[in-house]
This record gives sequence, C-alpha cells and structure tokens, in this order.
Amino acid sequence: MINALEVQNITKKYGDFSAVEDLSFRVPAGTVYGLLGPNGAGKTTTIRMVMNIIIPDQGSIKVLNETMDERMKERIGYLPEDRGLYPKMKVGELLLFLAEIKGLSRDRARKASDFWLSRFDLADWKNKKVEQLSKGMQQKVQFIVTVLHEPELIILDEPFAGLDPVNTKLIKDIMLEMKEKGRTVVFSTHRMEQVEMICDNICLINKARLVLEGNLSQIKKQHGKNTAVLEYEGDGGFIGAFPEVEKIDDYGKYMEIKLREKVDPQDVLSKIVGRVRINRFEVQEPSLNAIFIEKVGERHEQDMVGH
Amino acid sequence: MSKIWSVIKREYLQIVKTKGFIIGTILGPVLMAALVLIPIAAQLATVGEQKTIGVIDASGEIFPGLDKKLDHKMKDGRRRYILQEFAPTTDVNSLRLVLSQKVLSKELSAYLYIPGNILEGGETEYVSLHVSDFEEIRRISETLNGVVVEKRLNRAGLDPQKIAQFIRHVGMKTIKATAKGEEEDTGGTFAVSYLLVLILYMTLFFYGAIIMRGVIEEKNSRVVEVVLSSLRPFQLMVGKMLGIGAVGFTQYAIWALFGFGLTRYGRAFVVSSFPAASAFKMPSIPAYIFIYFVVFFILGYFLYGTLYAAIGAMVNSEKEAQQLLMPITMFLIVPMLLMMLVLRSPSSSISVILSLIPFFAPILMLMRICVLLPPFTQVAGSIVLLVLTVLLMIWITARIYRIGILMYGKRPDLREILKWIRYK
Repeated sequence: MINALEVQNITKKYGDFSAVEDLSFRVPAGTVYGLLGPNGAGKTTTIRMVMNIIIPDQGSIKVLNETMDERMKERIGYLPEDRGLYPKMKVGELLLFLAEIKGLSRDRARKASDFWLSRFDLADWKNKKVEQLSKGMQQKVQFIVTVLHEPELIILDEPFAGLDPVNTKLIKDIMLEMKEKGRTVVFSTHRMEQVEMICDNICLINKARLVLEGNLSQIKKQHGKNTAVLEYEGDGGFIGAFPEVEKIDDYGKYMEIKLREKVDPQDVLSKIVGRVRINRFEVQEPSLNAIFIEKVGERHEQDMVGH
Repeated sequence: MSKIWSVIKREYLQIVKTKGFIIGTILGPVLMAALVLIPIAAQLATVGEQKTIGVIDASGEIFPGLDKKLDHKMKDGRRRYILQEFAPTTDVNSLRLVLSQKVLSKELSAYLYIPGNILEGGETEYVSLHVSDFEEIRRISETLNGVVVEKRLNRAGLDPQKIAQFIRHVGMKTIKATAKGEEEDTGGTFAVSYLLVLILYMTLFFYGAIIMRGVIEEKNSRVVEVVLSSLRPFQLMVGKMLGIGAVGFTQYAIWALFGFGLTRYGRAFVVSSFPAASAFKMPSIPAYIFIYFVVFFILGYFLYGTLYAAIGAMVNSEKEAQQLLMPITMFLIVPMLLMMLVLRSPSSSISVILSLIPFFAPILMLMRICVLLPPFTQVAGSIVLLVLTVLLMIWITARIYRIGILMYGKRPDLREILKWIRYK
C-alpha cells in the first residue's frame, strides 16, 4: 500500500527536554489517521516537524512518497492547533493571499475561495473584515484555508477543539468526504470518541514516544473480549474488589470492567445481580479510551475524561 | 520567490490602504508647510498695537533724539511707539514708583529710565510687564544706543557720519570650495544635511516600529503558523521587511514631489512677502548626496528593521517590547547627539571612527558626506562594514524569528536567545 506519510525515527530535543523521541509511523494513503496522546505528549511537535516548520534533530519524513521539503507544503493542507487569521484583512483577500502562498494562481485561488465560501454559507461575508465575523464563522474560514488548494494530504491539529456542534459535524463530514475522494487525513486529538467514529488507523504517543500503532479494529481485537460494560443504578464500587476483575472505570451510572484472563463474564454478572439495578450488561471489545488509559497510565485519566 | 512577492504585496497593500497611512502621508507635508507658512502669514496679517512708553531722561539730552529716531511705523502707517516724557523730579524714586503704577495699570506699556550719567557710561533701565519680546527690546536698545553714541561723538567734536562710515561692519561671505569651483553657501548645506539625517533617523524609528508591530500582531492573532505551513519563516520575514520598506519609499516619493513643488512655487511666495529671504539661496546639492542617502537609507532600514523584527518575535505584546527597545533607541540617539561633534570637525579621527561603526554609520557617515565628502575608501569601508553587519543581523534574526514566532508565554532571557540561535 502507498503511504501518504512516512515518519521514520524522528527525534526533537530542546536542551535536555525531549519533545519527540525516536518516533516512527506510517499513514496509508486514502485513510483517516488519528494521532493520539495526552496533552504534552509531543503531538504538535510531531505535526510541526511533518510540516517542516520545526526541523527534526534526527530521522526522516516522507510525504506522498517524496522527502518532505518546502515544495511539498503546497500539497498539504494544515490546520494548526493555534488557530488564527489576519483580523484586519477582508475574508476574500485573506483567502486569496493564503491560496497564493500555497502556489495557486490568482484565477484558481479566486474560483476556489468563491466555491468554498458559498458552500459554507459565507458568500455574503467575502468583503467583511475577519474581525467582524463571529467566532463560528471564523472557524469556518479557518477550515476553508486548510482545504482551499485541494491538498492531497490534510493535517489537522486538534480539529475539534473549541468548535460548536454544527461546525464539529461540518468538519467531520468534510474529513470523510476527503477520504472518499482518495485523499488522506491525519489529525491529532486527545478525545477518543471522535477517533472511534472516523479513524482507520491510529498511533498513540506518550511522553515523546510511540506507545501503540496500527489498524484500529485490529488493535481492539488484540486487546481481547475481556471487557464488560455495565449500565447500572446504585453503588457499584464493590465490583472493583472482585478477584476476577483486574480494574474498573466507574463513571457513576456506567462502568467498564476489565476482567482477568480466562474469567467467564457470566460469573461476574451473577455476583453483581441483586446488589445493583442492572440496565445493561454487555461483553465487548474494550473502548479506545480504556486501551488508552491502560497504555498511558492512570495519571492521565483526568486529562482524558475531563475533556 | 513568488511567495515572498505575495507577502510583500500583502504587507504593502494592508498598510497603504489604511486611513492612517493616507492621512499621515497627506497631512505630513501639509503640517510641515503649515509650520513654515503660518507664522509668516500671522506676521503678515497682524498690524500690532501702538505702544506708549514713558521716558525719564535724567540727563536731559537724550529724549529729543530718541523720540526722533524711534519712529518705527506700523502697517497702517502710524507710529508704533509714542514716547511720553516725564520731567525728572528731585526725588526720582517716587517718580519711578508712579510710572511703575502706570505700567501695572497698563496706561504705559513700559517706561525707560535714562540716568544723568548716561553719556559717561551709565546704564538705562527698561521696565515693563514682561520682558520677553526680545525683538522689541533689541529695537529700543539699539535705537537708544545710536542716539547716545552720536551724542558722545558730538561732544568729542567728531562727525558721527564719518565715524559711521569708518566703523561700518565688514561682511564675510561663506563659500564652499568644490571641485566645480567656489559656491556661496549661506547655511544651506547644514540645513539640507540636517534635514536628510533627520528624515533617516525618523524613518528608522517609525518603520522599524511598524515591522515590530506586524510581527507581534501575527504572533498574537496566531496566524503565523498558518502562513508557515506554506512558506519559510525567512521568506515571511524578508517579505514583511521589503513590503513595509516599499511603503516607506512610497511615502517619500509623495513627499519628495510635494517638496519639489513647494521649493518651486513656495519660494516665490515667501520672497514676495519677505524680500530679504531672497538672500537665502537654495544650496545646489550634488547628486551623489541623494545616491548615498538612498544607500544608507536601505542599509539602515535593514539593519534596524531586523532588530525590530527580532524583538517582535521575542515578545508577546508591545508593552513587553518597550524594555527591549531601549538598546535600539540608544543606538539611534547616540549618533544624533554626536552629530554636532562630527559637523564641527568632519575629518577628525574621532569622526572617522564613529562614522565607521555600523550602527552609527547610516546617520554619521551620511552627515559627513553632506558636509565634506570623505575619502572614497572611508565611505566604501563603512558601506562594506554595514553590509556585512546587515547580513549577520539577518542571519541571527532569522534564527531568533523562526523559533520566537511560535513561542508564547514567558519572555526568553539572553541565554535562551543564544540557545535559539544555535538550534538546528
């Protein structure tokens, strides 16, 4: 399979601090790829190195089967974690400028910006200054900037952060639309539910290093059918003390129970019956969140759930 | 290259289209013209008021002469000063007290006390509510002086008219020796070189600050990373500096046209109202001065522009930048303070050394070129040093810039900056 992005053994150090350490992963063309990790894991540094904004100390990066260099930037669409537009520029002028530095001719830039503005219902705002737009509209403009030049590879750093539900859906739809067109989407996030909805492959980074990489459904299979989901009413804290149970993630009304090897879930169910009111008990693959927490450690639990 | 061009275009249009630029560009010369023309017009328009001056002539010999000589006319032809004599009494002090009261009550605009020994060297006294109209005081003092000297000469049996001829002031023209021959210079060289240096000085300050503000704005609005996903930090920096520099050139071109028009037609206006002004000749400024002006303008702009860009990249807000601007401000102010030293002795070794220092060269070498063209080796030397420094500064700044523009939060200290410069 052709890879849209190949990262090989990249390392970036700032003095004694390692931002990224010996990281490698591959993104197959035409897929949606999730770059996961808690805050400060090195996701943004990795993405900036892919974009040639930061130069890695070691390692190599190949984009669309070519070594990453300035020229390749024109074939990539990038949404940085820190969003921003020139507040004093008119929307139309801003899009033209940003398309031009992506290598589009003025004529093509104008057509593309008109197309996307009308698609996002912003055609009437073309001659307004960016600062006059609402926050939601600015987010749309920001997203237009990312896809305006029809990039083959789209890299989104925390694309859903701070978005309202309408724009969240809009971006998710466009990501899937791009995939259908055969383009590749890479995005970073620390929110697992989005990853499960749209990603084909993932990699998990923690403390500058790769923890896990591969196809999402395969990863889930590898982690086995030793997880049960319980929806209940009452106080379920006692379940964690069962010898059959390795650990629980208790959300109050909902609980993920990780079972020890060779334990029959039915035994556990029979021990719970009568002590809490059970609305649902289901044996399933572990959620990505559970895998994530298992790999990254309890310390980051707050991070994950809090968002 | 075409990407740099896009950045240049954006920077240029974003500034040129603002109201601030349009107003500043039009208002600048209008203000300058107003500064020159309003006082002239005001002087032309005011008739002034007639003033009554009381005179106590204790010598009894001066008043008639003074009354005759102090006959300055106002625009409407009336006498400006009406002298009113008060015969000295035995008690002069009580009379002076009375006149003092009259001055206070504005019955008299002033009074003049001429002592009895005036011809032997006594001093006169001028009493008024305020003694800040130097022009008027000089006029009265000189007239009085003339009258007294004439009396003294008469008493000694000399003919004042002959004496006046003997002691007539000897004029001295100031002439510059140039390769094309000798040229009269009534201070024009100084005025022009001062003006050119002042323009250079203000530009470096003004456009440097615009560069810095632009960098800070890109950082604060977080747009910089979007731009960097299409081009190199270096391209952004150079494009920004060239674009803003082009704005500077546009502004000067407009002002130069305006200045040309003003000297062409404005001078006729000034001379027609002040015939004396025709004595001031526009100095003929050799073309090389303008060429060097442009050279030092460009080099100075890049030298200071990179410094401002680096500071913009290091800080989060303009307020934070103020402290870091101190050294730059010093670099710019020191040559302005040293200017008089260089003007007085443009070829002294201290002037030569100072004008070779790259951070001072744009101002001081230009000053020397205006006053007295230094040997070519010195000019070339300062330009070479300046070019090398500019290249070094661009290299250093580019390295600070590429890291700084993505850094938010705590301002880096010097150690950290040095680390940035060393990063790959």
